Amino acid sequence: MKRLLLTMSLLLCCTMVFSQTITGTVTDSQGTPLPGVSIVVDQTAKGTSTDFDGNYTINATSSQVLVFTYVGMKTLKKSVGSDSVIDVVLTEDAQSLDEVVVTALGISRDKKSLGYATQEVDGEDFNLTNEQNVLGSLSGRVAGVQVTGASGASMGGTQKIKIRGVNSISGGDQPLIVIDGTPISNANFSGSDQADYGNLAQDINPNDIAEVNVLKGPAASALYGIRGQFGVIMITTKKGKKGPRKVDVQLSSSFSMESAYNFIPLQNMYGGGSSQTFRTLPNGDPYVDMSVDESWGPKMDGTPVRQVFSFYPQDPQYGQLTPFVAHPNNVEDYYKTGTTFNNSITITGGNENTSIRLSANDTRVEGVVPNTSLNRNNVGLSASLNLTDNLVVSSNINYAGNEGQRPSQGSEYGGAYMVQWFQRNLDMNRLRDYKYNDGTFLHWNLGRPDSSTGEISDFEPLYWNNPYFEAYENLSNDSRDRFFGDIGMSYKIIPELEVSGFIRTDMYTQNIEQRQAFGGTRLPSYSVGKYQNKEFNYELLAQYKNTWDKFSLDATVGGNIYDRDYSYLSQSTVGGLSSPGFYNIAASIDRPDTKSYKLRKKIRSFYSLVSLGYDGTYFIDASIRNDNSSALPKDNNSYWYPSVSGSVVFSELIDWTPLSFGKIRASYAQAGSDLSPYQTSLNYGVGTVYNGTNTLYVPDELNNPNIEPSFSNSFEAGLELNFFSNRLGFDFTYYQQKNKNQILNLDVSGTSGYSSSIINAGLIENDGFELSINATPIRSEDFSWDFTFNINKNNSEVVELAPGIDVYTYDSTTYSSVSSYLNSYEGEPFGSLVGQAYERDEATGEILLDDNNMPLYTDATHNFGTVLPDFNGGFQNTFRIGQFTVTGMIDFQGGGQFFSRSKMLAVRTGQDALTVATNDNGMNVRDPLDQGGGVKVTGISASTGEDVTAYVDARSYYRNTLGRRIYEEWLYDASYVKLRELRVQYNLGKNIMDKLPFETMSFALIARNPIMIWQEAPKGINPSEISTGAQSISWYESGQLPSVRSYGINLNVTF
Amino acid sequence: MKNIYINTLLIALFITSCSNFDEDINTNPNVPSQASGMQLIAQAELSLPGLSSSPQGEFMSQYLAETQYVGTSLYPQQSTSFYGWYQGPLADLQAVITSDNLTGTEGPIENQIAVAKILKAYYFWNLTDRWGDIPYSEALKGQEDFTPIYDSQESIYKDLFAELKEASNMIVTGNLSNDIIYDGDISKWKKFSNTVRMLMALRLSEVDPATAQAEFVSAIDDGVFTSNDDNLFFQHLADANNQNYWYGQIVNQNREWWALTEGLVDQMKPVNDPRLPIYGNPARDSGEYVGMLYGDEVNLGTQEYSLLGDAIYAQDAPVYLVTYAQVLFAMAEASQRGWIAGDTASFYESAIESSILQWTGNTDTVADFMMEPGIAFNDAIGIEQIATQRWVHLFMFGYEAWAEWRRTGFPNMMVSPNGAAVPARLSYPDNEAFNNEVNYNEALDRQFGGEDSIYGQLWWDE
Repeated sequence: MKRLLLTMSLLLCCTMVFSQTITGTVTDSQGTPLPGVSIVVDQTAKGTSTDFDGNYTINATSSQVLVFTYVGMKTLKKSVGSDSVIDVVLTEDAQSLDEVVVTALGISRDKKSLGYATQEVDGEDFNLTNEQNVLGSLSGRVAGVQVTGASGASMGGTQKIKIRGVNSISGGDQPLIVIDGTPISNANFSGSDQADYGNLAQDINPNDIAEVNVLKGPAASALYGIRGQFGVIMITTKKGKKGPRKVDVQLSSSFSMESAYNFIPLQNMYGGGSSQTFRTLPNGDPYVDMSVDESWGPKMDGTPVRQVFSFYPQDPQYGQLTPFVAHPNNVEDYYKTGTTFNNSITITGGNENTSIRLSANDTRVEGVVPNTSLNRNNVGLSASLNLTDNLVVSSNINYAGNEGQRPSQGSEYGGAYMVQWFQRNLDMNRLRDYKYNDGTFLHWNLGRPDSSTGEISDFEPLYWNNPYFEAYENLSNDSRDRFFGDIGMSYKIIPELEVSGFIRTDMYTQNIEQRQAFGGTRLPSYSVGKYQNKEFNYELLAQYKNTWDKFSLDATVGGNIYDRDYSYLSQSTVGGLSSPGFYNIAASIDRPDTKSYKLRKKIRSFYSLVSLGYDGTYFIDASIRNDNSSALPKDNNSYWYPSVSGSVVFSELIDWTPLSFGKIRASYAQAGSDLSPYQTSLNYGVGTVYNGTNTLYVPDELNNPNIEPSFSNSFEAGLELNFFSNRLGFDFTYYQQKNKNQILNLDVSGTSGYSSSIINAGLIENDGFELSINATPIRSEDFSWDFTFNINKNNSEVVELAPGIDVYTYDSTTYSSVSSYLNSYEGEPFGSLVGQAYERDEATGEILLDDNNMPLYTDATHNFGTVLPDFNGGFQNTFRIGQFTVTGMIDFQGGGQFFSRSKMLAVRTGQDALTVATNDNGMNVRDPLDQGGGVKVTGISASTGEDVTAYVDARSYYRNTLGRRIYEEWLYDASYVKLRELRVQYNLGKNIMDKLPFETMSFALIARNPIMIWQEAPKGINPSEISTGAQSISWYESGQLPSVRSYGINLNVTF
Repeated sequence: MKNIYINTLLIALFITSCSNFDEDINTNPNVPSQASGMQLIAQAELSLPGLSSSPQGEFMSQYLAETQYVGTSLYPQQSTSFYGWYQGPLADLQAVITSDNLTGTEGPIENQIAVAKILKAYYFWNLTDRWGDIPYSEALKGQEDFTPIYDSQESIYKDLFAELKEASNMIVTGNLSNDIIYDGDISKWKKFSNTVRMLMALRLSEVDPATAQAEFVSAIDDGVFTSNDDNLFFQHLADANNQNYWYGQIVNQNREWWALTEGLVDQMKPVNDPRLPIYGNPARDSGEYVGMLYGDEVNLGTQEYSLLGDAIYAQDAPVYLVTYAQVLFAMAEASQRGWIAGDTASFYESAIESSILQWTGNTDTVADFMMEPGIAFNDAIGIEQIATQRWVHLFMFGYEAWAEWRRTGFPNMMVSPNGAAVPARLSYPDNEAFNNEVNYNEALDRQFGGEDSIYGQLWWDE
């Protein structure tokens, strides 16, 4: 296949015959070669561009003129004459930073004319280290964007993105993802537990991305209406080029190895059990208490004991005593080395009136969790054809196919439970052979042996399966086929007026299957779901562009029809399966649980945008949009909202050499918002059928026929400054956003008969600043250094909630009947963590102790403050040293907090290293109190009011009090600094390339998530990866999979 | 030509964008927009076993001891939510009572409303006995009132008596369909209504004996249960969709967490109580009935103790809620208190006989059992005997037995592990402090000096 393509491209090249071949090198004034300089033969469509070393080759006749153009440089024209070698030096052009950016609706604009902040990320940045999920690569690269990821062990797991803080009291404020003008779904099928399928934007092939532009505020995104209210991530893919006929083929291969790291430090002194003395069999042999899933047991001092496997008659060590010792790495040993292979081919071509780009990508991942994998295929085709001089048809078609077998994660699911509940004496290498030859399974958590026979007869595990049983028997499979793209046509009626129409679609079918196998803790079961989503956007646009003298006008009117059709069918067995190994709904013992669901939604929109410019210095934009949403009540479903922005390029007005560009800008916008369908009418739920008696119920969520659209108002102002021929640039933005009368699913007192009610209420305000700095401190022939630094700070305040309601519960979680909440309080920042705290003496702040000297605790209403970070950002550095390019991406976050249930349980179950600390008597905290052991507590006695310093039993303290009731102890600051990506690339020099049949060739070493440079939270919990599932705010961690670091190599060839 | 075409398209687009959507586009095709009265009542009936089926209730009355996580589950120090009852069965019943489009196709509309009112009263009675003052008069009003006040227990009792009387009185001839509990037999619903009233009246024996006696007598006059056939119980099915809670715990989840308490076995084993083999299984290692000391954190195990009986946790095991034996125990107590005429001893013996019949399916063992020491009625300790035997009878409806313990103080051998006495109530859901702050605080101040403690005493608990 590859050979065929090579031959084809050679043939194409050979068919081009020209009179004179001209070669040369293009450099800047310092002599640094400039790659990618466009060279066109004037008055023709023939052209080429320089390679990495600034070299070019072009055919032209002696009478023709070559035109050299490059962003930020003065355009240069050079007559060919008789020279066959033409070297040129381009000089910087401070005046012409005419950077063109793609804005809302795909309209290209001069960046300098925009009155609002946008920030672009180059496509290259998405391919540094083979990140599987596009959104993950945005972390730290755009000021004002916060990305919270999930462990790499999930292979393309959830990446959540927030732009400029939380702008919705109900948290549902994910930005819209638009690729080549087509809005696509970024849905997420995961819950907080079990498999993390990730957000659907991962279907975008990072290799196809030319540029990503983040539209941060409503001013930028107003034209996307409802769905763009929380910002837009505009992705532009690479395209073929019209011009001289040319074909490029690019091959890229990479291979990386992944390994799990960052484990909670665990103790290696005490093994499984609840007492430090062994239980004994009738014959006097001690045994490990396999009914206890904690490590408060006897010392692991090598005593010969009966361990769990010795009770299985089919086990080779049946009946044998083996030393009771620690297996310090038992949790680590479970994870294996993962691998990722990525191969892609891209063919780009074009001639005078056609351009085409075809890409194919194949990714195969084997995860660090045993028996997990992900295969992904992407195929993309984009083509554009000039039918006549005035009529262009174009199309983008993308296919993404995914097949995953993913690990379960989350509270007590899959193998992730091992940090939460386990025995330190368990040998993972022993558990790995989880299946005996007779088909039965080895588990570790069983009921105790019979006290008269000393045998175990019931081998059904109690609470936990062997983690390998989870990995190999309880499978979770998912697959998705997806097509997205557009076909369109544009017609120039007159040179200034272009009319275009597009049909855009995004359609996918998601399949999810889960099994609970025979022989485990849970009732065997099978569930299967098929989820289909079809979204169409029909778009019609007319754009008029003209200039008169110093005035310029750019006006657009358009309309859009959005049509969504979603359905699913999900089924699960009830009461067990009828025959082992047969996983099918037909195997359900009782009436299976089935759900069928359909959803339809339409939005019709009309919009208009006018931009006026004067003298390339003063610009003003105004837009208006009308939306008509089918999800709103019929007589209140149409609404209008405007935006206005302006900018002044003041560097045009002052003449100060160091300043190469200066602009101030300001904008104001309103954006409207609706809700999901079917929330405006009252319905009933369908209950369980009892022996032919059918039941219906009043739903817990109270719908509202009087709901109104809600609006946000935003204001932003910014300053852009570039100095020293654009080698140093600042972009500063201050913004303010008020989201009022939001459509909330407000938690109400259940005594009203409902748990929540859809209402219009509330006001949330965010303000903050964003700063990005671009600089090229060093630029010479052999060495250059570029960096980009981004930081933003956001403040939020929930100004008001509903009348009579001053708390909004966003989410809650309950464990061992202790609840914690994520609440928003009127007058406070969004999202406070609420739960049980130490009860403290009011005067001194000391912890109050009960009569047993155990800390007292409050009820679950203590407010610990917001979970949102104070600031976050990123720092990307690129060094070019000769043929080497080194790129490093660091992202960071300051402040914010979360609750870690994994840490809490590791302590509660006596696994955490903390539970074997040495106290100030020099004794282990687990030693008896009368020998100087115990945990030292200080505080004030609640009953006597006197200061107390005492030693308490470690197990009671950690297991029954701290690890169960006092959540204050398990809250961690979410600050971190992380080296996210590192790439060292070597480009083969020209002299080597001349001997090879390739145009360019490069090798790179890549590392993803190699180092967490610093984190405030204790080791073993990763504050940058606490996001799982569809929920938009991450506020607690439970059963997080370990962090994964990835090292690999990458080979790129073009010819 | 092309221009015309494109312009037409453009205009067409704008015209369509102004017109309305299809009439039914925002009508939810996934759920029904209409529900019949009996469909809602049947749904509310599905929640009945939940009144009883929870380990918490069994701990309150010390029927069961925990074999594994003792410290975790002794008593609910934290909040216990009542939201599920309001959002679930009560909201469904309220929808029937306030409906203006009930039809007679499932039986007389009056009877549908009467059954809804009776069940609603029964649920509210259970709730107030657990928590004390609760939202009642302003509850279940949806959008009209998201922050209902907490009514006093006294006023709730008063209104429940009235509601039950009104419901009984509105019943007309004509049975119902789609009824899980009494298969539509309206006369049984009427007896149930009066029986609830009778048992509620008894609850006031200490706080307001006069009202208690009057309501008690009036309920009997209106007609209470006359045999075990009238019992209100929920028959679970051998079907995972409708299975017994304990089956899910013990069989599906393999949780051998519950043993009979030492207190219960000590009460039943010495007198060869024929119900003991139903209530529990012999200990696996000894083959004997061995109770576990309630709240014991040291001697844990599943081999050494009598675990919950096979018949209790069978997938289709019934859950008894209001029974004829309770009626007879109540009458025995009432006659002992002089509220009604009749022979206390014979009420007492009939009560035990009905209980044994209910639990074992026959009365063969009754005569022998009555001969066991301490079983025959002894007037000197009449109330204690009645209460203790009622406690044995109420096995597995721990919440009801707990209420009777709070009222009478019997049985009197409840233990206090680590000094933890049996609670006097459940504490309110902690999210009431967020969702209904003013009324919640007001209720706490009024009843318990501002503290939401599980040791605050209810109005009738004197």
